[in-house]
Amino acid sequence: MVKAVRGVLVECEPAIKSILVHIDSTHHHEFIIEDLDETHLFVKETMLHVLKSKLEERLKETYRPEEPLEDSD
Amino acid sequence: MSVGQQSYQLSEYLEKLPGTTFRKLYQQPSTAFAIFRRMLPPLAKVFVQALLYMPSPLLLSELDVWVRAEGKMQRDRALSILRSLHIVQITPPGKDKPQEMQLTTNFKNSLRLALEGGGSHNSFGVPSTLPVDPRIDIAHLDNYARKKWEDILHYVVNSVPGEAGGGGSGGGPKSSVKDLLLIGRLVERRHDTRAGVGITQAGFTFLLQEANAQVWTLLLLWLDAADRAKGAAEQARGAAAKTENSIDMLSFLFMLASLELGRAYNTDALTETRRNMLPALVDFGLIYIPREDTRQYFPTRLATTLTSSASSLRSVSSGFSAATANNPGDASSLGTTPETSAASKGAVIIETNYRLYAYTSSPLQIAVLALFTQLNMRFAGMATGRLTRDSIRRAIGFGITADQIISYLASHAHDQMVRAAAATGRPVLPPTVVDQIRLWQLENERMRTSTGFLFKDFESLEEYVSLSGYADEIGVLVWRSDKKRMFYASKLEQLRDYLKSRKKAE
Repeated sequence: MVKAVRGVLVECEPAIKSILVHIDSTHHHEFIIEDLDETHLFVKETMLHVLKSKLEERLKETYRPEEPLEDSD
Repeated sequence: MSVGQQSYQLSEYLEKLPGTTFRKLYQQPSTAFAIFRRMLPPLAKVFVQALLYMPSPLLLSELDVWVRAEGKMQRDRALSILRSLHIVQITPPGKDKPQEMQLTTNFKNSLRLALEGGGSHNSFGVPSTLPVDPRIDIAHLDNYARKKWEDILHYVVNSVPGEAGGGGSGGGPKSSVKDLLLIGRLVERRHDTRAGVGITQAGFTFLLQEANAQVWTLLLLWLDAADRAKGAAEQARGAAAKTENSIDMLSFLFMLASLELGRAYNTDALTETRRNMLPALVDFGLIYIPREDTRQYFPTRLATTLTSSASSLRSVSSGFSAATANNPGDASSLGTTPETSAASKGAVIIETNYRLYAYTSSPLQIAVLALFTQLNMRFAGMATGRLTRDSIRRAIGFGITADQIISYLASHAHDQMVRAAAATGRPVLPPTVVDQIRLWQLENERMRTSTGFLFKDFESLEEYVSLSGYADEIGVLVWRSDKKRMFYASKLEQLRDYLKSRKKAE
């Protein structure tokens, strides 16, 4: 019987996806419902917020873009 | 921020209604007409017009003769909208009989009545026969509606933490309106702001919408809230009374949209449900009722443009000017205040170095700009600032999208920018700035998300192919994998109906 599951489709770069999968595997798989392909994941609607902030935390550790130089106004 | 998007919200609301509700809604010619005018794409309108006076049902296969082969997608989309709004009936596919389509009876009769006139349905309002106060002219109504609506927007804007610079005029909206904004989660209770409430993501999206979409957002919130309140109170009395009420409320809104601006209508001719709606509509600024004489009500421009498809309604003030600009012969409608004409012209200049100059003194516009700009200086009649990575990042954190910011800047661009762009044949906004705003968003939004449904565990390949194919045709298919036999669709309702009708046919 065909099933329709409600949730959130996440589209992202493969690099980001692998971080998300890693976050999921270290949190008892409570985020991801279905790993769709290289750039798509299907996640629980209620957990999206938490997942986003976890990703943000993870990126902050590694990613620090240069601020453009301020000129005077 | 196109017309498509604003009617989308209303269509979402309508799609959830059951068929019986539609049958009752379509008893009103004004409703059938408003739905026809507002909710249908051009091809769907053509179908309806062709079917309207057809004496017998049309074979579905004959429809293919009307539509070119490459237009099959549009045809299917038009049909799916017509079906979801219960405007056409299509017989289920059977083995012995070809499929036929026809307009639903109530819709057909009402739309005919609306076009031909006649009938004693009073569906388009009953004009008041009482003498009208000459002071109540179109300019007066416009001012009144604008004040009411800007009060509401101010209340939402001023709930930004730390940005409470604008200073709303007067006491702000009525507490009933404030409660509604809270229920609709456009704002939420917080203690770090002056107003005691804080804006939410939905609130930001709301602020940057076109006026018309804003009005509908608020009205739909209100219908929902009224439904819920009544539902709780009338549980004992059965659900019938409740739906009856909300149908009447919705068709009253459609009726308001068909009324004539500047004309007085009779309050006594309304049903009780509709009379009970009047105070709230006054609070929203959709209608005006003179204090001395409550037997008359006047629809304002906010109400009469509800179902028009004018796409230029960017903000309340520009909406007014756009509407008044359409009939320049009408002197009274041009009697707007200097403040409006300044705001409506578009006041924002943005340079290639991300500096922004806004020639405005409207606290509302400055407050909106402050949502995504780092404002530095404020002069009389002008504010300056710049777009920075941080200011855009903060806005995106609030839930505003880059496209919303870009379209806001484009629609509020200063005349000079528009003229210079037209002269050189270049886009209005500097491409570097537009690209950079998008890049800043990409940097922050590492993942794009959308809510919907994943279809899986198909019984057969054939079932998968036909359902995903249908999803593609009606434009809800977002992702599919033939290998996994799964697909993701943004909407569920019509696919469910399709599955059901397939089951029946088998």
